[in-house]
Amino acid sequence: MLDLDMGRYALFVWPAWGASALVLIALAARALIASRRWKRELKHLTDADEAARSQAAQRAAGQEQ
Amino acid sequence: MFGLSNPQRFMAFTGPLTPILWGLAVVLLAVGSWLSFTVPADYQQGETVRIMFVHVPAAVWGLGAYAALGVSSFFALVFRHALADAAARAAALPGAAFTALALFTGSLWGKPMWGTWWVWDARLTSVLVLFLFYLGYMALRASIDDEQKGARAAAVLGLVGLINLPIVKFSVDWWNTLHQPASFLTPGSSGLDPVYLPPFLTMLAAYGVLFLALWLTAIRTEVRRRRVVTLRARQALEA
Repeated sequence: MLDLDMGRYALFVWPAWGASALVLIALAARALIASRRWKRELKHLTDADEAARSQAAQRAAGQEQ
Repeated sequence: MFGLSNPQRFMAFTGPLTPILWGLAVVLLAVGSWLSFTVPADYQQGETVRIMFVHVPAAVWGLGAYAALGVSSFFALVFRHALADAAARAAALPGAAFTALALFTGSLWGKPMWGTWWVWDARLTSVLVLFLFYLGYMALRASIDDEQKGARAAAVLGLVGLINLPIVKFSVDWWNTLHQPASFLTPGSSGLDPVYLPPFLTMLAAYGVLFLALWLTAIRTEVRRRRVVTLRARQALEA
């Protein structure tokens, strides 16, 4: 049976659980947001890098012809 | 195991593993929290016993994260391994957050039980020193512009801080402290009442799995960040 009545200790129990929840959520959010950001950034750069290489290869092939 | 020291193999291996760890952490945290509020209040500590289910896992994994930071720093320093350096860096923030939580929730538990928020006894002080080592590690890395030099200086500090881990662990045995001695899995101790074991072990596992998820995600992010830096430098050279 769920017991959420902390009685006279509520002022100690709830801040402990609340702070823990806040910090864990903040850690998870920060890690996932940073992960997405650098994943997107890397994909963007890799795509640009591949496009530049393929253009350079086409230019080199055109010059040879 | 050593194959994972190759960043590409590491990324391939941890790619499918990381979402599983995140999911498992959420489930364990939900179940552990529910169990924590279904057990009866302690006959001596009353409802404050429920603080134990967030305090002890935070303290245990705050120490565990520093062990990961220290061992990774050793490999980064001795073998100059980039992935080990990324692992050390990735362990710092979750470890510092867990240690700060252990200090904060411990203080909230101490006031009703000991009648004080804080005492300068061996356990509390050594955990505060652990937290300061985390802060020092992150500040040192951030304060040196040359990333490699900053990483090496921080790795030395990370290694030095390993000395503090046994002090934290055995402080309650070596000195007289207000903090209770280890009462779980300690032969001869009164131990934890069996009724509190399911929420305690579930929350301990939840924090551990969450730390692993945070750590692996941060290492993967760091690997990607370094690739971005390398690619940008190459593109700047070619332009």
